[in-house]
Amino acid sequence: MNASKALEKTLVASPERKLEADADLDIVRKVQAGDVAAFDKLIVKYRERVLGIIYNMTSNREDAADLAQDAFIKAFQSINRFQGQASFFTWLYRIAVNSTVTHLRKNRLRSFFSLESVREDDPVSKELIDALTDKTGVGRDAFVRELQEKLNDAMQKLSINHRTVVTLFEIDGLSHQEIAEVMDCSVGTVRSRLHYAKQLLQAELQPYLLK
Amino acid sequence: MKRDTEKKITIEDLIRLKRAERPPADFWATFEAEIRSKQLSAIVNKRPWWHGLSRAAIVFNRYQLPFGAAAALAITWAGIHYYSVSPAQAVGMSSARAPESRASAPAPVSLAPAAAAPVALNKALVRTEVKTGAQAPVAAGEPVVTATASHLSKAPADITLDAISKSPFADGIAVSLADYREPAADFSRQGVFGSDRDFETTVAPVRQAASDPLARMDPAEERRQRLLAPAFPAYSSGARRALASDWMKARSSSDERMYESMDHGSNDRMLVGFRF
Repeated sequence: MNASKALEKTLVASPERKLEADADLDIVRKVQAGDVAAFDKLIVKYRERVLGIIYNMTSNREDAADLAQDAFIKAFQSINRFQGQASFFTWLYRIAVNSTVTHLRKNRLRSFFSLESVREDDPVSKELIDALTDKTGVGRDAFVRELQEKLNDAMQKLSINHRTVVTLFEIDGLSHQEIAEVMDCSVGTVRSRLHYAKQLLQAELQPYLLK
Repeated sequence: MKRDTEKKITIEDLIRLKRAERPPADFWATFEAEIRSKQLSAIVNKRPWWHGLSRAAIVFNRYQLPFGAAAALAITWAGIHYYSVSPAQAVGMSSARAPESRASAPAPVSLAPAAAAPVALNKALVRTEVKTGAQAPVAAGEPVVTATASHLSKAPADITLDAISKSPFADGIAVSLADYREPAADFSRQGVFGSDRDFETTVAPVRQAASDPLARMDPAEERRQRLLAPAFPAYSSGARRALASDWMKARSSSDERMYESMDHGSNDRMLVGFRF
């Protein structure tokens, strides 16, 4: 039962997302009617997620900030063309992902890391780092920094499409269906890319996997 | 480092560690200020006109197949429409150009599936060639511009009208064939191109002075004679046969000379020498 629920969650959008989409649509209608200030609500609501996606695709915080701003501006400029057939966040994600992919293709040869610091107030990350390091804290920061660089390095070794799928699924938690909508491809393609990307990452990060 | 822990760490756990990579709190103040200024400039500045083109290109890319199919249909329709309207005009033009051929063959473009029609058409065309040659006599001593008949005027002489009538472009093809089978006398006549042809007329006598067997013997004419000789004895005249045999001899002797000049002695390469 749990397995089937988990599978359903990965395949289709959750009911919470649907409620969220309805609320977004109301705000979008206001913006379309001329209430420009209403768009600020959408910015505040989605800025962290959009920035997170772009940052994890580029591994560069300055580029990520610029691209996230551009994505919001593009969405604002094109808001009148939004018909409401897809949810707003899917539409916004698509704009952000397309802008990022275009940027990555343009600057393929001059990519360099500019990483954010890992915040250990997140319980999941704290637990993981505790499991990987000595709890006494000896060399803990250096190890976290090294692991972070290795992770980003492994992500950057993936192709743009594979990186996007991993980012949207594993980091942002979108379902296969939603990723397929964002990337304009089939669900099968999403699964295939995800499987292949995980295999590559596993090979790259083998020393950090404990069995 | 603690590697001997009992907890199993998967690749998904490691990737989720990236969720903890977040900007500091003061970052968002800068972010908001920048986005607000960009938003205001987006409101004030009008978007350039080529943004619309890029959108059109995106739409076109998405619907490549329907657009391609529609374009193919439109081209096909235009072709059918054009060729179904034009034959009457085209027949009028061709009859105005060569009235003798119309008189000798009343309906060269008619699509009646009679078996004798192709033969009649061919005969009519042969006569037309002769007549047109007589129509444009060249004064003695004047330079002659030789007409170069295209491959279309020679090759498809044996196409039956039955085969033509099955095609949707049948009328157009029939008219085109009739036009091409006419001798290209219009182009060879002096004065068609005005003074631009003066250069060719001055060069033509020099060209005729060269003893090129192909210039004296038209291969299409020779082939026609050879094919029609069993059926029509008039085509197998002694003079024409002598001319053809001369040409064949000249060609074979030139081939022999070329083969003699080749050195077959060496194994690793073949030397070819040309005698002038």
